[in-house]
Amino acid sequence: MTTLHPTRSVTAIALLVLAFLQIPVLVVILASFSETSYLTIPPQGVTLKWYEAVLSDPTYLRAIKNSLILACASTAISLVLGVAAAYALFRRVLPGSEAITSLLISPLVVPSVVVGVAMLQYFTLTGFRGSFMVLIIAHVVITVPYILRSVLASLSGLDLSVEEAARCLGANGFTTFRLVTLPLIKPGLVAGALFAFVTSMENVPVTIFLASAKQTTLPILIFSSVEMGVNPSVAAISTLLIVATALVLLVAERWTGFHKFA
Amino acid sequence: MTPRRSAWLLVSPLLLVLTLAFFVPLLLLIPTSFREYLPGQGMVPGSFTLENYARILTDGYYLEVVLRTLVLGVAVTVICLLMGYPVAYLIVRGNPRWRLALTLLVIFPLMLNLVVRSFGWIVLLSNRGIVNNLLTDIGLIATPLKLMFNMTGLLIGLSHIYLPFMVLMLVAALQNMPRDVEAAASSLGSSRTHVFWSVTLPLTAPGIISGSILVFVLTISALVTPRMLGGPSYQVMATLIYDEYMQLLDWPSGSALSFALVSMTLLIIWGSSRLTRKWAGLA
Repeated sequence: MTTLHPTRSVTAIALLVLAFLQIPVLVVILASFSETSYLTIPPQGVTLKWYEAVLSDPTYLRAIKNSLILACASTAISLVLGVAAAYALFRRVLPGSEAITSLLISPLVVPSVVVGVAMLQYFTLTGFRGSFMVLIIAHVVITVPYILRSVLASLSGLDLSVEEAARCLGANGFTTFRLVTLPLIKPGLVAGALFAFVTSMENVPVTIFLASAKQTTLPILIFSSVEMGVNPSVAAISTLLIVATALVLLVAERWTGFHKFA
Repeated sequence: MTPRRSAWLLVSPLLLVLTLAFFVPLLLLIPTSFREYLPGQGMVPGSFTLENYARILTDGYYLEVVLRTLVLGVAVTVICLLMGYPVAYLIVRGNPRWRLALTLLVIFPLMLNLVVRSFGWIVLLSNRGIVNNLLTDIGLIATPLKLMFNMTGLLIGLSHIYLPFMVLMLVAALQNMPRDVEAAASSLGSSRTHVFWSVTLPLTAPGIISGSILVFVLTISALVTPRMLGGPSYQVMATLIYDEYMQLLDWPSGSALSFALVSMTLLIIWGSSRLTRKWAGLA
């Protein structure tokens, strides 16, 4: 059978677009090694001084620490809450399972900036604003839909008879879940967790309304320092993030065939 | 325990968290949007006014911002569609050996921190940025082009940010399409262009629609990229909401604008799902 392969011009355009997608990444990496405070092509001189500046700056170090704690904590909580809910919803024993599912995914539909201002007002009025726990809960709200979505997708491909077999052989509900269901939905779980982690790590619109100066996260720090003008330290910290993202993506791809879940 | 009871037990923790930290905060914005605001004093408790909503539709400045947001949404969607289709086509119909590598090239920018990507565009587009430097060096321009703090900058930046979403949606649509339909049309003597316009494009329409909706909704609600590339003077709805809450402390006006943004988003999603359902009924 003949299939229509892309013509040469389509291929050329597609490759150009793919190159366009990588340009800002390459530019940031180049800028981080540049001697001058603004980047020229070709770059003038190579230096590591911006990396040194960033990695010895307590403000940056604290922001990195805050971001990691926040992302780990909110992803972990979202995983527990999301997997439990998805497991119950996929069986459709509850009245209105569909409606509950769309309700639980609805934080994805509301613009983040609106979620941010709603939480700002609410947590200011209730007096909880400024507590780190509030930030974690806020991040659970914005990350849990991703986990719910990918776990539900994995569960829908699950053969229920495997679970029944385990039950017949005498395993109780939790043992069945732990030893049979969980390994089977692992790819979806990993993909969902990764999306949740990345979403938390890059969130600005919600965090910026809730975080106190001490709780500043890395993206907030970059976001606000850019308002002061282009600074190669930002390029250095950005390059570190680019490398970390690339590594995580490659590991996830090896581990679970991640691209199928994107 | 009955299956239904244990199911409730599993769902309720998440339902509780979302109610307390998402639904209630959102609902509490409603009364705020009807409060009067006095500069220097803040919200007037117990007051009721429609002024905050009326302003969005009558005040020239607000109208300009709303209109700009919508124009931006449509333009970015069209750009993403035009740039995304060839990429999706290459991924699905090209050499299968390249598929994984090409897909990863699409996903990588998507996974990358939003502020980093926007910062990359600042390095490129600012007055002393790479693009302007390059053009000046080869003598094409004498004074730097204004590529930031205007529509150009936002269009470039936002199209770049949301292109991966469009590509992934189109890839899914192209994969779901039965291949032999194209082959059949082609073997019956249809030209390549004709096959594309009369077979491929209509069959991938659901993907085109859902990708467009996604990009449009994301674009009109974007805060980070518009602020970083547009600055404090070139506002869109999301950045204006941000400023009303953080700089002007005019919460009533900010929350009215928030609801305007939410209803625009919901209207688009609702309208499109009706449209797709109608089409599915016809098919």
